Amino acid sequence: MNVRTLTPMPEEISSVPSTRELAVTIRSFNAFYGDLQALKDINLEVPERQVTAFIGPSGCGKSTLLKWINRMNDMVLNAHANGELILGKQDVLSRQTDVVDLRRRVGMVFQKPNPFPKSIFDNVAFGAKLHFKISKSELDQLVEWALRKAALWDEVKDRLKQSALGLSGGQQQRLCIARAIAVGPEVMLMDEPCSALDPGSTTRIEDLIFELAKQFTIIIVTHNLQQAARCSDRTAFFYEGKIVEAGETNQLFTRPAQKRTEDYVTGKFG
Amino acid sequence: MAGMNVESNPQELILSEFRLRSPGAARFHQSLVVTVLIGCALISILTTIGTIVMLIYESSGFFLNEQIEIGKFLTDTRWTIGQTQGEIRYGIWPLLSGTFRITGIALLFALPTGLITAIYLSEYAPKKVRAVLKPALEVLAGIPTVVLGFFAVTFLTPYLLAPLGDFKPFNAASAGIAVGILCLPLVTSLAEDALQAVPRSLREGAYGLGSTRFEVTIKVVLPAALSGIVSAFLLALARAVGETMVVALAAGSTPTFTLDPREPSQTMTGFIVETINSESVVPGTLSYYSIYAVAAVLFLITMLITIIGQIIRNRYREVYQ
Amino acid sequence: MSQIPDQLKHDSAGRNERRSRKSNSFAVICLLISGLVIVILVTLLTTILTKGAGSLNWNFLTSVHVENQPELSGIWQALVGSMVICLICGLFALPVGIGTAIYLEEFKPKQRTMRRFQGLVQLNINNLAGIPSIVYGILGVTAFVYMFGLFDRIQVNQIPEYEMGAEYFYQVNTISNRRQGIQGRFVSFPAKDPSQPTFEINEPIEVTDGGGQSFMLNVIADDLPMPTDPELLERTVRRGTVASRFARYQASHFHLPLGKSILAAGLTLALVILPIIIIASQEAIRAVPNSLREAAFGMGATRWQVVRGTVLPSALPGIMTGAILSMSRAVGEAAPIIAVMGGILGTTRGLSNLMDASPVLPVTIYKWSSHQNVAYENLAAGAIIVLLVFLLLMNSVAIWIRYHFERKQGAF
Repeated sequence: MNVRTLTPMPEEISSVPSTRELAVTIRSFNAFYGDLQALKDINLEVPERQVTAFIGPSGCGKSTLLKWINRMNDMVLNAHANGELILGKQDVLSRQTDVVDLRRRVGMVFQKPNPFPKSIFDNVAFGAKLHFKISKSELDQLVEWALRKAALWDEVKDRLKQSALGLSGGQQQRLCIARAIAVGPEVMLMDEPCSALDPGSTTRIEDLIFELAKQFTIIIVTHNLQQAARCSDRTAFFYEGKIVEAGETNQLFTRPAQKRTEDYVTGKFG
Repeated sequence: MAGMNVESNPQELILSEFRLRSPGAARFHQSLVVTVLIGCALISILTTIGTIVMLIYESSGFFLNEQIEIGKFLTDTRWTIGQTQGEIRYGIWPLLSGTFRITGIALLFALPTGLITAIYLSEYAPKKVRAVLKPALEVLAGIPTVVLGFFAVTFLTPYLLAPLGDFKPFNAASAGIAVGILCLPLVTSLAEDALQAVPRSLREGAYGLGSTRFEVTIKVVLPAALSGIVSAFLLALARAVGETMVVALAAGSTPTFTLDPREPSQTMTGFIVETINSESVVPGTLSYYSIYAVAAVLFLITMLITIIGQIIRNRYREVYQ
Repeated sequence: MSQIPDQLKHDSAGRNERRSRKSNSFAVICLLISGLVIVILVTLLTTILTKGAGSLNWNFLTSVHVENQPELSGIWQALVGSMVICLICGLFALPVGIGTAIYLEEFKPKQRTMRRFQGLVQLNINNLAGIPSIVYGILGVTAFVYMFGLFDRIQVNQIPEYEMGAEYFYQVNTISNRRQGIQGRFVSFPAKDPSQPTFEINEPIEVTDGGGQSFMLNVIADDLPMPTDPELLERTVRRGTVASRFARYQASHFHLPLGKSILAAGLTLALVILPIIIIASQEAIRAVPNSLREAAFGMGATRWQVVRGTVLPSALPGIMTGAILSMSRAVGEAAPIIAVMGGILGTTRGLSNLMDASPVLPVTIYKWSSHQNVAYENLAAGAIIVLLVFLLLMNSVAIWIRYHFERKQGAF
């Protein structure tokens, strides 16, 4: 089957209600690892202060796209990309783009919780110290604020000076979220943030994502379709390096426009 | 989505009120650091360049001296530089043969012993034996070479070798054995690494065919680990050739051209340390330049061995990766 | 062995038993040969302990080598020398070694030329590790002691071209007259032109005596009669008396070329262990999980901020373990030190600045065990025990760090 015929025109699938500003705009985007093309002709609009989920089978390119939004792929030796990827008004792919500043504006949470082997306080303060000229009392205030936002403050307020490695897996992941929040990002990228967690911790993180979306734009990559259905506003379905379908989560899960999307969300493959 | 755990309205912070650090400053800082780091890396390059330039420049003071013919340096079988009387003879062979006599004895002892110990540790040893053997090897590896030289003079020569025959107080055999003891932990640990690198599946395959442990070890594991073991041997060889203090103490200071292990045997390293330590040697004299000539030969030999060892090791790495 | 022929008649059962017996006897041979390691170690330590235990006492630890008086000789200077040299070596080799390792592991460049440069450095480091330490020794002689002849060589009675922290004085003895019981005394005055080894006194000059008192030194002509007042005699020299130069060195004394100094020896040892430190640090840095780097990069840290904030703190225990182990290698090295400082057993002044030479433990052991007076052999064994204890202490610190680290990082 020719996959190209399945790809609808960009306007049809990803136009966003005009009341919201666009946080990320992607047009005719292609990404490569060496000669291998990982993403083909991606067109997508991510509205601000909503949760957008990327779903699709392994190796479909959803994580690759995520890692291009904050240029984490710069570190992969032979990774390159072309097309348009715009954050707010800034061209992400441009050579002039300062990745340090870009990554302050685009926070990231990884698959496995990866707190630094430092104290809880120092973990949250790490990014703030990098980016802000900030006094000690302001830093205290900021750390408390970020930990409250990540719903972790009550659990750790008495042991801020203890090692972050002593926390449970779910707490560690919320700490990583707090760490990302503490530099005040516009967009937060989450790369399967719950895949290493137990169901209880997963629920707490999902609640947190929902709450955070009031303030931040969130893009979440997930293998877990229920998770996408539960906590995202919009969903993009990736298959073999292309976006097959993107739109309101409700619609995509209940009345998918494409056969392949339907097959995937109903569990016929993936 | 009810039942949120988030606190009721944490006090809002406006992060944009914080003054941003300029990313340019961090980048400038980084470029300074990188410059310093490259400077550090350059020091090791400079060490090599310095060594090569020094050896070429200073040994040219020897080879270009009108008293010296390079042909005789390479063919003559007597070396008298550093001795006070008599005509000057400067054939490298006595020193070269001294080095290889002692190296030969050392490897004759260290290679089989080290290899068998490695096989035992890798294929046979129960946990309890391992727990004794491994630290013992580590302690042995950490013993300074001057201590082994002392051991050769005060124990090996008088108590082990003297009863066996007419060994001189300073002789090639005791120095050779002491250098062998020095190489033993090195051979063992490198050979064990090579044996451990043989994939488990290969062993399982052979056991599955009903082989005994001995057969698996000799017919499957050893051949598979061969290149790693050879490179371990070469590293031990380079170490033995370059060893100085043991031979300076135990092998005597007479350059001899013989195969007799009971005779004294000055090596290249022994000559260098002995000559450089004597008060009479000052820059500009023939003995001073001869140090660099011998050191250049020593450097070439060890470099060659190291490079061959590395080529072999890199090849065997490719096999299992 | 009588059952063998019986079983040979049989099928593979006999063969199999022989095969397994062969396997078992091979295991026994292996065990016996491996046991040699233990035998060697025990013999070595017993030899040293029996020879050296007798010479270990407080006096041995606190006194200095005395030629031909083994019973008065000790290792104090050698012990101090070994510690100082270890310190110099570490101060230089640690930053450079760790810096090189960080550069090679964390700053992998994208441009082809810089990648080639890094490959060259890496290859070079592996080769440096194979160079015999005595070759480093003569490199030390050439590069540090004589500094490639860039400066005039330090010779007897000549002061170095570039020098600091040294004060030069001339010293002279005032008139003495044995018949009158006048002894004269030493007085000194600062040298205006230190390059001259002697100074002829022709005019009165301000001098200082041993008690620190200053006064004018009288000068009388040869043909004039001597004054009789002993007070005055003590402050008088004959015209043309020659004063000789001497130097007082401050702790900051430094000169170029470095000469046969402990600094030159320490720097040489640093070159010896540099490749070992680099390789050990590289391994420690490689062991830091990549997720930590990703996390820091994801927050917008620059590469150096990633290294300083996350990679180094995590790798530091491993780096320190490797560093201590290679420093203990440096403490046991004798050959390069003999080349650079000479095989000295003791100095009259002891170690007062970095330009002094000093005995160290391994060199002392070498010189004592090759001493004509066999009585020094037991002292050498005693010095070996001290050296081994010193190494044991260093290694325990390394093991403690490793243990502490493993427990702390257990959560990974």
